[in-house]
Amino acid sequence: MRKLWLPGAAVALIVLVAVLAPVLPLMDPIRQDVANRLAAYVPGSPMGRDEFGRDVMSRLIWGARSSLAVAFASAAIAATLGTALGLLGGWFRGVAEFLAIRGADVVLCFPPVLLALLVVTLLGPGTGTLILVLSVLYLPGFIRVSFAEVLSARGQDYVEAVRALGARTPRILLRTVLPNIAGPVLVQVSLAVASAVVLESGLSFLGLGVVPPTPSWGLMIRGARATMEQAPMLLVWPCVALTITILAMNLLCDAVRDLADKRGGGGAPKLRLVDRLLPGLFPAPEGPRPLLDVQGLTVEIAVPGGIIRPVEDLGFRLDPGRTLAIVGESGSGKSMAATAIMGLLPPAARVAAGVARFEGEDLLRMPEPARRRLRGGAMAMVFQDPMSSLNPVHRIGDQVAEAIRAHRDVPAAKASAEAVALLRRVGIADPERRARAYPHELSGGMRQRVMIAMAIANKPRLLIADEPTTALDVTVQAAILELLAELRREEGMGVVLITHSLGVVAEVAEDVVVMYAAQVVERGPVERVFARPLHPYTRALLAAVPDGDVEPEGIPGVVPRPDSWPPGCRFAPRCAFATAACATPPALEELQDQAVRCVRWRELSA
Amino acid sequence: MWWLAKRIGTSLLLMWVVATIVFLALHMVPGDPAEMLLSTGGAMPDAYAIAELREKLGLNRPILEQYGAFLAGLTRGDLGASLVDDYPVAEEIALRLPRTLELILAGTLIAVTIALPAGTFAAVRQGGAFDRAASATAAVLQAVPVFVLGTLLILVLAQWLRWMPAGGYTPFLENPGRHLLLLSLPAVAIAKGLAATIFRMTRASVLDALSRDHVRTARAKGLTPQRVLRRHVVRNALIPVTTVLGLQMGTLLGGTVLVEYVFNWPGLSTPLLRAVEARDYPMVVGIVLTVSGLFLLINLAMDLIYAALDPRITRG
Repeated sequence: MRKLWLPGAAVALIVLVAVLAPVLPLMDPIRQDVANRLAAYVPGSPMGRDEFGRDVMSRLIWGARSSLAVAFASAAIAATLGTALGLLGGWFRGVAEFLAIRGADVVLCFPPVLLALLVVTLLGPGTGTLILVLSVLYLPGFIRVSFAEVLSARGQDYVEAVRALGARTPRILLRTVLPNIAGPVLVQVSLAVASAVVLESGLSFLGLGVVPPTPSWGLMIRGARATMEQAPMLLVWPCVALTITILAMNLLCDAVRDLADKRGGGGAPKLRLVDRLLPGLFPAPEGPRPLLDVQGLTVEIAVPGGIIRPVEDLGFRLDPGRTLAIVGESGSGKSMAATAIMGLLPPAARVAAGVARFEGEDLLRMPEPARRRLRGGAMAMVFQDPMSSLNPVHRIGDQVAEAIRAHRDVPAAKASAEAVALLRRVGIADPERRARAYPHELSGGMRQRVMIAMAIANKPRLLIADEPTTALDVTVQAAILELLAELRREEGMGVVLITHSLGVVAEVAEDVVVMYAAQVVERGPVERVFARPLHPYTRALLAAVPDGDVEPEGIPGVVPRPDSWPPGCRFAPRCAFATAACATPPALEELQDQAVRCVRWRELSA
Repeated sequence: MWWLAKRIGTSLLLMWVVATIVFLALHMVPGDPAEMLLSTGGAMPDAYAIAELREKLGLNRPILEQYGAFLAGLTRGDLGASLVDDYPVAEEIALRLPRTLELILAGTLIAVTIALPAGTFAAVRQGGAFDRAASATAAVLQAVPVFVLGTLLILVLAQWLRWMPAGGYTPFLENPGRHLLLLSLPAVAIAKGLAATIFRMTRASVLDALSRDHVRTARAKGLTPQRVLRRHVVRNALIPVTTVLGLQMGTLLGGTVLVEYVFNWPGLSTPLLRAVEARDYPMVVGIVLTVSGLFLLINLAMDLIYAALDPRITRG
């Protein structure tokens, strides 16, 4: 809002002064006084006199009046006509659409100043011509904006609803559609006014706009050029007035646009210093050194309302060659945890606490260059959406080869050959030809195979797969999981598989971590957890898996948002077994080889 | 290839539409166009002059015949003759166009060299000192009208500091040094609007590209930050910038008229402004058609660059 305030006030002030020009105690802007030609100061004329002895301050203010009158008039005409044309075109389509849109395209074929000069030649200079030309120039903007908005509004539920009620077309357009496209049209109005001021002054400067002796900033600059040597300030005043006006208008445009886009949002508050868990406080694990050992991982994001924690106190341990699944509904924080471990968190998020030891070294405290050498090398990641995760402008063979050359010093030709071999390895037929394809030329399953080829390019020991099959067709999902399982067996990688599907977990994973609302609610070996789920949420998830002819029982409700977590057990509001005891936050209880976060687990599993 | 042929076809079609609009404009004027062109300041032009002008413009022939002759002339490169001195419009344009093109090219070059790296750097260090300074500069530059900047440059550099000549033109072959010196100020003035726009677009586009999934993939590969930026951010970010660049050229071409006037650069704007003042319709039409054609050509070139940058366009 602050962004709107200052330029808004400036523009309002300029408009106010221009409107009030006739009643302000100013000298007559066109009365000549040759005796005081170019006088730098005359009582009553603080800015001096121009080449005809006219009062400069008065001319500046009256100049604003003529510039703004032209600008507002033409913007208003263009807005009314353009919006009407766009509405009709978007609503009726067919001929109306053709005329409105093609008409707009034709105007856009001309550079604006040249179209203006053409019309001035025909009609002669003057305020009327200016308004006509400027209205025509800004017409396309309004047509396009309102056309696009109507098209999208047509399909909206509220419009459908009014239509179903039997409302007549003009009524729908005026009462339902128009108010909803007001935002973008308003943005367009502010753009048109600002740009009209520029064009008006330019044409007046060329002597082809406002006709003398009417004062105008463009004309004042034109006149002052001749006497630049004797009276430079005469030139500076209108230049400054014009620039400040346009600057204020542009800033106001930006602010209005931001507001209409609803992207504004207040500034995020400074991050609060949170007690960090001391690393190394936990006893060293016994047995073989784990591949990945995560403890107390907490991620924070600063949002306008405060700080949210999409991941809280996450812990798990993965041994080499094994597969661990992290399960949960969307919004449980599982993907955020994976990106935190890889060091790929979006800028707004940061790790607030915890350790993530990869082969004994803490990834979270490692300097970025060292972590970068691990990423794509010893540890790799496959993402959810293979379309957006591949760069659309590079050939896939190059993108795979790039992963190779990022970690090994091999010649380009050898890397390309290796990329082809990798593509073959992940089951892409005709890899020589496919390597030259762009991502959009492949199917979804094929793209995910490319992502996997990229991830295994440097024989990683850890692979994190973030919902690798969610964006794919059901038939392709099984093939991709099969490929991952096969690669794991052959390469001996440890795999962290993030998924919301328990079916997938049962098929490929040995250990499972169940997450709910940023917390681990249950953890253990897959066979144990599936046979004897301890947490009501795990039970509900298992019940929701389609099994033969039995209709799955969905879990009622959704995962609460990170800014509105229940004070006690976070699952309590959706839990069928919740009691008064659930109002206090439960701790994660470690059993022999299982862990659970529920105060009632003992009585429930009895 | 098919795509290219289609795109060129569209450009030719648009050129034809532009020519037709320009032709029709004369006939859409309320009343007699000849009378309209001759009337200045409300005084009734005399009947003899009107009749003579009607004859000159061919207004007495059937409109379809006029249109046919106009289009046939265009295809031969014949744009008619000036109403003022009967000088062929095409010859005047052939003399002036190279000078205007030189100015546009120099301005674009300056704008791109400064604004592309600046926009990228500002985005990478978003919110930093450079970003804030450069963004503020771009906002101010965008607000200064091109003729105001030109005039102020003359006032400060030529009038007060006397570092530069105030304007004019010397052929390159006559005196290359002076030619470039005279070129520099108008080129800078032309560059300003384009530079401000390219800067803002590049900055926004790079910021957008930085948040893309494929950039995360590139980082997940372990690429160095420099390489991620060069191959996976800037390359992708340039695609929207070229589109805006093409559309901005319309403003740039208009700005050239003003800049040439301010700096006395004898390009197309001199005969254009003279013709507008004298209501010399054929001359104005010739120049407007030339510049609009140039605009369409630039946009065609931008589309080709766009296609080269984005494989989805021609293959999708």
